[in-house]
Amino acid sequence: MKTTNRPNYLLVFIILSASTLIETLVSYVQPAPIRLPVLIVASAVKALLVLLFFMHLKFDSKIFTYLFVPGCVLVIPLILIIMVVMPLIV
Amino acid sequence: MSSVPASSPAPIAQRENTKLGMWIFLGGEVVFFVTLILTFTFVRVTQGNYEAEFRSYLSIPLIGINTFILVTSSFLVVRALEAIGYRGDQKRMRYYLLAVIVLGLIFLGGQAFEWSILFGDGIDYSSTYGSPFYTVTGIHATHVFIGVVWAIYLLLSHHRHPYTKEHHLGIENFGLYWHFVDIVWIVLFTVIYLV
Repeated sequence: MKTTNRPNYLLVFIILSASTLIETLVSYVQPAPIRLPVLIVASAVKALLVLLFFMHLKFDSKIFTYLFVPGCVLVIPLILIIMVVMPLIV
Repeated sequence: MSSVPASSPAPIAQRENTKLGMWIFLGGEVVFFVTLILTFTFVRVTQGNYEAEFRSYLSIPLIGINTFILVTSSFLVVRALEAIGYRGDQKRMRYYLLAVIVLGLIFLGGQAFEWSILFGDGIDYSSTYGSPFYTVTGIHATHVFIGVVWAIYLLLSHHRHPYTKEHHLGIENFGLYWHFVDIVWIVLFTVIYLV
């Protein structure tokens, strides 16, 4: 952990908590297509906040990013196969 | 005989090798969990009426609280790392780790409680949505359990080999693992419960 950059962990925690509360409330909105984009964006932002600040990816050596990102890229064809190709076959 | 110059710049400090390994491991875990989540989503998209047959049985407020508990535990892990990494405060680090263990156990208790409710409602391993649901949440809960055991080990081993401001990589690696488990739950909470 580099000591030069010290993120505001409390602010990140408050955003994560507030977002969880808002998401839970939005989940009761009907119909599903309306809540879908809000929930997906909120979830992605929360995951990114944890990754960048709690896991220090934003401040640490870039080599960690280069090691982690390929795993994320690998799942793109997986998503395409399972969500696009397989429903056409089944 | 040729020798390597002592001043050869290393791309990353030697002591961070385990951290490097942890990031490679987490990259693999991404593929593993995405496969499980996609399996659940595939079943959800292609089979029956998810809303009536499964989602209506889920307790969203309970799991919302459980999600908050896991997010709080993640925050306490960074506070533990901050305590030892910035201030060398071992006592505070121990308190934060203890709180993480307690919150991890509460999260697992919440999961077990939810499972018992679902079983009571007749949603077991053989049901259409139950099978992928118990698989993905069960594997995640196993990861949380491993994290709790790891945190207990850190607390116990700290007495023999105390972490210091300069040497606290064990805490940092545990933190990476715990935050990743938190991220997985953030995604699962959305995919299974909210959407």
